[in-house]
Amino acid sequence: MRTRRWFQITALLAGLSLFAAACADEDDEVATDDQSETEDGSETESESDTESESESGAGSGSGGEGFKACQVTDIGGIDDRSFNETAYEGILRAEEELGAESEFLESGGEEDYATNIAALMDQGCDLIVTVGFLLGDATLEAAEANPDQDFAIVDFAYDEPVDNIKPLLFNTNEAAFLAGYLAAGMTETGTVGTFGGVNVPPVTIFMDGFLAGIEHHNTEKGTDVALLGWDGADGLFTGDFEDQDKGRQTAQSLLDEGADIVFPVAGPVGLGAAAAVRDAGDANMVWVDSDGCESAAEFCDLFITSVLKNIDNAVFDTIETAQAGELDGEPYLGTLENDGVGLAELHEFEDDVPQELKDELEALQASIIAGDIPVGG
Amino acid sequence: MTAATRAAGVLTTSQAAERRRARTIGVVFLLAAAVMGAGFGLGVEAGLDSTFGLNVRGTGAELPDLVVPSRLVAAVLAVVCAGLGGVQLARGFTRRLPAVAAVVAVCFVAAFLTWAAAGASFNLTGMLQSTLLRATPLALGACAGVLCERAGVVNIALEGMMLTAAFTGALVASAAGDQLVGVVGAVAVGGLLGLVLALLSIRYRVDQIIGGTVINIFALGLTSFLSQKVFSEYQELNSPGVLRVVRIPLLAELPVLGPVLFANNLFVYAMLLLVPLLTIGLFRTRWGLRVRAVGEHPRAADTVGIDVLQVRYRTVVLGGMVAGLAGAFFTLGSVGRFDENMTAGRGFIALAALIFGRWHPVGALAAALVFGFAESLQSKLAILSTPIPSEFLLMAPYLVTLLVVAGVVGRSRAPAADGQPYVKG
Repeated sequence: MRTRRWFQITALLAGLSLFAAACADEDDEVATDDQSETEDGSETESESDTESESESGAGSGSGGEGFKACQVTDIGGIDDRSFNETAYEGILRAEEELGAESEFLESGGEEDYATNIAALMDQGCDLIVTVGFLLGDATLEAAEANPDQDFAIVDFAYDEPVDNIKPLLFNTNEAAFLAGYLAAGMTETGTVGTFGGVNVPPVTIFMDGFLAGIEHHNTEKGTDVALLGWDGADGLFTGDFEDQDKGRQTAQSLLDEGADIVFPVAGPVGLGAAAAVRDAGDANMVWVDSDGCESAAEFCDLFITSVLKNIDNAVFDTIETAQAGELDGEPYLGTLENDGVGLAELHEFEDDVPQELKDELEALQASIIAGDIPVGG
Repeated sequence: MTAATRAAGVLTTSQAAERRRARTIGVVFLLAAAVMGAGFGLGVEAGLDSTFGLNVRGTGAELPDLVVPSRLVAAVLAVVCAGLGGVQLARGFTRRLPAVAAVVAVCFVAAFLTWAAAGASFNLTGMLQSTLLRATPLALGACAGVLCERAGVVNIALEGMMLTAAFTGALVASAAGDQLVGVVGAVAVGGLLGLVLALLSIRYRVDQIIGGTVINIFALGLTSFLSQKVFSEYQELNSPGVLRVVRIPLLAELPVLGPVLFANNLFVYAMLLLVPLLTIGLFRTRWGLRVRAVGEHPRAADTVGIDVLQVRYRTVVLGGMVAGLAGAFFTLGSVGRFDENMTAGRGFIALAALIFGRWHPVGALAAALVFGFAESLQSKLAILSTPIPSEFLLMAPYLVTLLVVAGVVGRSRAPAADGQPYVKG
C-alpha cells in the first residue's frame, strides 16, 4: 500500500523533527547543574530523587542548603557571550560559593517568557532571575500572581517598586562615557560608529554615554570626532539580537562611511560586526557587556576595550540577599563607584594607548564618581 | 447580436481598460514627480550639497567624491519624471512602458538619496556593494526554488535546507581546516535534503507544503540541538573563518564597478555565474525543455518518452544543492561561525523573490537586489540621521518587497503542474 507507506515515512520524519526540537528544548531545561534531570528522566526513574528535589525547593527560602536560583534568558540564549551569559556566571558563582542549585530556560521568542517563568516556578525555584528589558511585563505579571515567589530582573525598573521583584539596573553610560573618550582619543579617521540591537533604553544608554564621552573629548581637546549611528535621539539598529549576517552588513556600512572604531551594542550580533572589522584590516572595536577578550577571545586583537556591565556580581549579591530572606523591591544600581559597571583592561592595546590618555581616563573616572561630569542618558 | 459585433465589443472594453490603466500610470508618474519636487527638492534648505563617496577601502582607483547641489538635482529629476508622466497621459508609452517605469523609479530613488544626503555625505559604492552581498544568499536560494518549482515540486523547505547547510559548512570547514571543503559539505547536505523532499513529494506524494514544512522544523530542531551539544562544547569546531575576497585582476581596479562586482568572495561570483547559466540551461537547452515540460504538463512529457519522475528527482536534488550553497554563505561567506537559527527567515524571503521574479532566474536576481538595496538603504538612512524613525526603517525592506510584489509585478503564473504529484497511467 503506497499511501500507508508514505504516511509512515512522514509520521516518522515529523516525529524525528519533534524529537530533535524537544531535545534542544530539553537541553535548555537541563542546565549544567548536577542535580537537575530531564523531564523524561524524572518520570521513568529516580522518583525519590525528584521528590527530594522538589521538597528542598519548596522548603527553602531561608537558610543555605537547597536554595535554587534560576534564570530565564532573553532571545540571545545562555551562550550569547553577552548579557545572558554574564548573568548566568553570577548564578554559577553562587552555586560554587553559596551551594545553591541552578537551572535556566532559554526563551526562543517573546511568547516563551511567561511559560518559562511558570515552568521554573513549578521546578521549585526560590529566586527567578529574568534577564532583559523585554521580560519586564511577564515578570510583573508572574510576581503579582505569586507574591511569595522572589524575582530579580535585569535592566527593568518599575514605576512603583514591587516587593518581590528586585530590579538590577546599571548606569552603563558612565562606563560607555569612558569608552567614548578613549575611542575619540584613538581614532585616526576622526569618525567612530555605533549600532544597537533593538531601540530600548538599556541599549541606548550605552550609546548615550559613548556619545557624551566623544563630545567631552571634542570640547576638552578641541578635536572634531564624529559619531555615526546615534545622535542622542535615534540611530542605527539591526532589529534583533540574533542576525549576525545583518550585524556584519551594518558594521560594514559604518566602515564604509569612514569609521575606524565600531561599538556594537547588540550582544552576539556584535560577532558579525567583528567579522567585518577583521576583514577591513585597519579598524578596531569596543566590545559590550563582558570583557571581549574572555567572551570572544578569537577577536581579542580587535578590542580596544570593553564596556563592562557586571551583571554577574549583581546577580550573585541578589542571590545572597534572597538566600538570607531579605529580598526587597529596592533597585540595585550598578555604577563606576561600586564596580557594577566599568571599563575592561586594554589587553593587546595596553601599549598602543598613550600614557597621557590613560591618565586622563583615570581622572575622568574620579570626576564621574564624584558627579562632576554629566555622562549623558 | 452577431459574433462579429460581440468580438468588437470585447475589443473595445479591453481597450478601454488598457487606456484606464495607462492613465493611472501617468498619474502615478506625476505624483512621484510632485513628491520629488515638493518633498525632496523644497524640503531641503537652499544651498546645501549632497556628497556621495565613490571609494571603498582597499580598492586601487581613487575617485573624488561626487558633490551635487541637493535642491537642483531633486528639481531636475522631478521635471524629468513630470515630463514622462505628461507624455504617458497624452499618448502613452506602449511597448516602452516597462523601461520608462524603470527610469522613473531610478529617478525617484536618486532624488530620495539626494534629499537624505543633503548637507552630509554617504558612500554610494559601499551601498551598492552591500546591496549585492545581501542579495547573494537570496538570489541563490531563489534559484534553488526556480529549479524545484520549474520541475513541478514546490520547495517550502528552502529555509531548512539553508540552515542545515550553514551548520554543515561551519562544521566541515572547521574540521577540515579548509573553507572550500566546507562549501562542498554544505552543497552535499543541501542535495541530501533535496533528495528527502523529492522522496516525500514524488515517491510518497506527501502534500508538498507539509513535506517542506516538516523539513524546516526538522532542520531548526536538529541544528539547534547539535549546536548546543557540539559547538558549545567544542568551540574549535565552530570557527571555520570566512572565505577571503578574490580580486579579479584589472577589472577590480575599475572605478565603482570594480569594488562592487569584481572584488567579492566565491559566493557572489557563483551567484553571478549561476543566474545566466540557469537561464540558458532552462530556456535554451534540451535539458531545460524537459524540466519545464515536466513542470507544466507531465502527462504530455510522459507521452513523448520523458521519464517524468527521474527528471523531477534530479532537478530537485540539484535545487537542494544550490540551496546548500546559499546556506553556506551565512557561515563561510559572512560571519565565520554558526549560531542557532542564523538564517533568520531568509529562506522565506528567497521564496518571495522567486515568486516576485516570476519563476525566472533573472527575475529572482532582480527581486533579491531590490530587497538587498532596501536593506542597505535602511542602514545608510539610519547613519545619516534622517527624520525617519529607525523602527520604520527596519520595516522598510519588507514593505518595499510587499509593494513591489503587489503593485509592479501584478499577477505572475506558476508552472502549471507546480505542487502536483504525477501518477503514471
